[in-house]
Formats: sequence, C-alpha cells, structure tokens
Amino acid sequence: MDFLIHHMLRSSAARLPEKEALVCGDQRLSYAEVWARVRGLAAGIRRAGIERSDRVGIFLDASVEQSISIFAVSRAECVFVPISGVLLQDQVAHIVRDCRMRCLIVSASKLEIVVPVLSSIPTLERLIVVGGSAPAGTPLPADSYEALCGDVPASDAPEASIEKDLAAILYTSGSTGKPKGVMLSHGQVMAGATIVSTYLEITESERILAVLPFSFDAGMNQIMTAFQRGATIVLKPFVFARELVTALKNERITGLAGVPTLWGLLAQPSSSLSKGTYPHLRYITNTGGVMPQDVLATLRAALPTTKVFLMYGLTEAFRSTYLPPSELDKRPTSMGKAIPDTEILVIDENGRRCGPGEIGELVHRGPTVSMGYWGQPELTARVLRPHPFLPPELGDTERVCYSGDLVKMDEDGFLYFIGRRDNMIKSSGYRISPTEVEEVLFQSGMVQLAAVIGVPDPMLGAIVVAFVVPSEGGSFDPAALQAYCSAKMPPYMLPKTIEVLDHLPKTSSGKVDYPALRRRTGS
Amino acid sequence: MNADTTTGRIRHFILNQFPLARQRAIGDDDPLLRTGILDSLGILEVVAFIESEFQITVADEELVAESFESIATMARFVDGKRQREVGA
Repeated sequence: MDFLIHHMLRSSAARLPEKEALVCGDQRLSYAEVWARVRGLAAGIRRAGIERSDRVGIFLDASVEQSISIFAVSRAECVFVPISGVLLQDQVAHIVRDCRMRCLIVSASKLEIVVPVLSSIPTLERLIVVGGSAPAGTPLPADSYEALCGDVPASDAPEASIEKDLAAILYTSGSTGKPKGVMLSHGQVMAGATIVSTYLEITESERILAVLPFSFDAGMNQIMTAFQRGATIVLKPFVFARELVTALKNERITGLAGVPTLWGLLAQPSSSLSKGTYPHLRYITNTGGVMPQDVLATLRAALPTTKVFLMYGLTEAFRSTYLPPSELDKRPTSMGKAIPDTEILVIDENGRRCGPGEIGELVHRGPTVSMGYWGQPELTARVLRPHPFLPPELGDTERVCYSGDLVKMDEDGFLYFIGRRDNMIKSSGYRISPTEVEEVLFQSGMVQLAAVIGVPDPMLGAIVVAFVVPSEGGSFDPAALQAYCSAKMPPYMLPKTIEVLDHLPKTSSGKVDYPALRRRTGS
Repeated sequence: MNADTTTGRIRHFILNQFPLARQRAIGDDDPLLRTGILDSLGILEVVAFIESEFQITVADEELVAESFESIATMARFVDGKRQREVGA
C-alpha cells in the first residue's frame, strides 16, 4: 500500500524497473536507477544524523538531483522544502531560518550565494553539496551528494511515518510580509497526484515535459503524477521558446503544464510552435493565472489535436478546479468546476452561499486542503476555518480553505475568476507580496515612502509597479534603486517601473490609498 | 567603447533595461543567459530592440544561445546579418 510520497516511486520501480523515468539533457534514468539513488541519498541523510521530521531544504535548479532529493528526503522520513532556484540570499535565508532547517541540499554554485549567511542560522547543521565540494571557509560539515547516492544500502531502514505526517513545506507569498511555508502531508500530496492524474487520464505511456518549477504546487505535481503512474518526466530548463518546441517533438512529449506567461511565449508570432505538428501531444494544462483569450485561440489553432485543460489552484489547497476540454468552446473564460473528490463553495461576505452570478470568495473542501502555515497558527486559522455548513453534531471536524480569490458561478455551476480580495500580486505564476517589495525599497535608504501595486499585463498577468518618495537631501537615481533591488530580489519581484512622487495619496484614515495609485496607472 | 557602435548600442540597452546587468557591471563578454540576467522574456525584449534599432528581422531559427550569450556575440550577430543583407 502506498501512503508516503516515495512509495509511489517504489511501486513504479518495482513494476517498471527498466522504464525511462527521468530525462534531463543527456541524462536518462530508469525507474530502478532513480529508486537506487533515492535509497542511497536517503540512507546518507539519516547517517548524517538528520532525523525523522527534520526539515531538509533543496536549493537546486531543475535537475535530476533535485528530483532525486525530493523523494530521498521523503524516504528519509524528513520534510522536504524546495527552494526556488531563482531566489537570492535574503529570500533563501528567510526560508532556512523560518522552517528551522537542519540540512540543505545545494549545488556548489548556489552554495556561494548562501555561505555568507549560513553561520547566522543556528539550526542548520549539515550540507549536502551537488556537483563539487564546499568552498573553503564553509562553516558547516558537508557531504558529497554523488557519494551518498552511490552508496546504496543492502536493506532499507524501517519506516514509522504515516500519511498524516508532514511531507513538504512550500513557501509562497500572500498580500503582506515575507513568504509563508504551506505545510502539506504525504496524504495531501498523494491525493493531489491521484486526483490530477485521474482527470488528466495520465498513464504510464505519458511523457511529461516539466518546465514549471517544483517549488510550487502545480510544478511539484508534474513529478508526483509522473512517478505515481510510472510515466516519463522530461526536465527542460529553457531560455528560447524554440527549445521547448524542439523538446516537444524530439522527446515525443504527451503532456505539458504551463502558466499564462509560458503560453504567451509559445504563442508569439515569432514562435516556431505554429510551424510544426505535434501528434503525440495529448494535453496541455494552464494554471497560475487566467489564460488570455487570444493566446488560447493561437494555441488551439497550432495544436488542433491537443486537449486544453484550464485549471486553478492555490498552494494552501493544492489544486481546486479544472475546465473539461469539452466545455472549452462553450465557456473559454471559465476556470471550470471542482476537481474530483473536492467541493467548491462560493461564499459571500455574510457567510452565505452565493447564487449564480453573485461574486463571492472561493472556499475549497477536500483531501488536498493543506495543514496550514508553518509556525503561524493565527494566520492558518484565518485561511483554514471550520466548514461553515456542517451540522453542529459533527463538531469542528473539518477545515476548509478560504482562498481569498473572488469568483462567480454560472447557472450550470461553472466558475469564473474575478480577482483577489487583497493586494497580493500574481505575476507569471508567482505570488508577490507588495509589502515585501516595499521593504526592500526602504532598505535601500534611497526612499522615505514607497508603495507597490500590480498593474495588469498581457504577458505576465501583472507587473510590479512602485511609487516612491525619495529621501530628503541628495539626488535620487531611479536606475540606482533598480540596480539595488536587482541584487536583493529575484527577477519576478522587481518593480518594472519606479514612479517618483512628491507624496503618496492617503485615505482619510492616513493609510496609503492603493486604489488611487491603481487609478493613476489606469488599472 | 564608442556608444555609436553596434556593441555600444546593445550595451546601453542591456544595462538600462536589465538592472541586474548594471548591478553586476556586466562587460561585453560576460554571459547573460542562465545567469539570471536574461530569461526567456528578457530575450523577447532584446530581440524586439535589435529588430527596431538595427532594422533587421530575427528569424526564429536564429534564436540560439551562441548568438545571444553576451553583448559581444549579439553585436557580432547583428553586424553579420546586416553585412549579409547589404551583400544580398
């Protein structure tokens, strides 16, 4: 019986040992090879003194090593914390510190980014370094990833964990403050994999091209669904859209998940997507934002035999809705209905169910509702609340997820995305907290006031726009502030434009008037 | 380091458009791809600039890492293309 994440891999390796499991560049690993490396690394993690339930960070770009690490940490009965490869020192340090990480699996090149802050994080005791050795002066003991993977134990250690145990923490942003760690149990991750592979009809004949990062829920589900079903997953870091098109053909890809920005890239007039045919490509899925209608039309014309699934989910509830391809002609702007074994409620401000056409908050109930935010019980209680409509006799037995997303339902029960209830910005699939960007602007010492909003953008969904009042005395150089920000924040968080103002508009209560700033940009 | 040369015009655009390039004081031969400075969207911006600035059309099959690796390789690509177009 499979009830822990790595059990899915173990079963597929037992059933299909010679099957191609994982492809990245010229590396091609069978299920037996992947499982052997996972067992070696897991044993190494435990030998290093890392114990059950300890948090193990994975700070790697999309790679074979990243994939192996996720399942090895699960096999070691520890909690994996994927860290997006685009993050810089401050964001990585926040995650390491916040989750009280004990061990970090990191590439030699990325280790340079974090070495300066390692000694200020007392919980971190151990490094596992991929592709090289730790630089001289690294303040922690370091194992070689390659050596651990190669040392496969003759027999496996017994397991005590159950599906209710914490499996992963995925860091994501909200409307305020620093990123929070969404806790997912083994059962929740596996339910997500089962549900999504059911409605996408993923089988072992699938060849999935993975371009979305494993550090967010839909990205992680690419490898979970693949390994659960015994399919092949092809990792493809890319810069040029044509590299993806080439991979679609050469790897005979059957499934591809993307965010609107990716589809926007592929739908560019210069893109080679429309010049080829893709008889193998069975489905594509969109998540992380609403797909623009012109992009959707271009994709459907270029991929006439491919099914298009429009999906919606938030990390706190993993995956929530999808639009069956058969409904695409009738309701191309809909985000669909609840995924299997899930119920979506639309609830108004007074806690009542909304009727058709009425705007309310999307509330999710089902087996993928997360365990909440790591170390933040109050914030968790605001987002995960008791089911509002259960009979009192059931007591407080079920938590549902209040998404913060405003939606409406049509007469047939299909949902439509309206917007956010708060100021959270979503750009190319990334969640961005405006206050986190404002904090960096303040840290520069160049501004006395700063306010950040998201402005709609056809390619990115939204772009980050900053309004600043420069510090008194001295000249202000927006380019210098941009450069400062670029050293402190990953590219997706950077303000695209910085507008200089004499003062920020205020509301009658003295707070920054964000709606007035939005009106300035015409949004 | 003449700002009017192909290299100078591309350098000016890259340093102004991509704050990280300025922050890291990128030189003409420094790598831009896979270092976080130019991603897939950044490449689109660069191509749009090159096409309008130098009045050329960049074909899809010309979008390869060898040509867009650095400011210098981009300049060589643009100059080579302009020469071929003049010669044609």
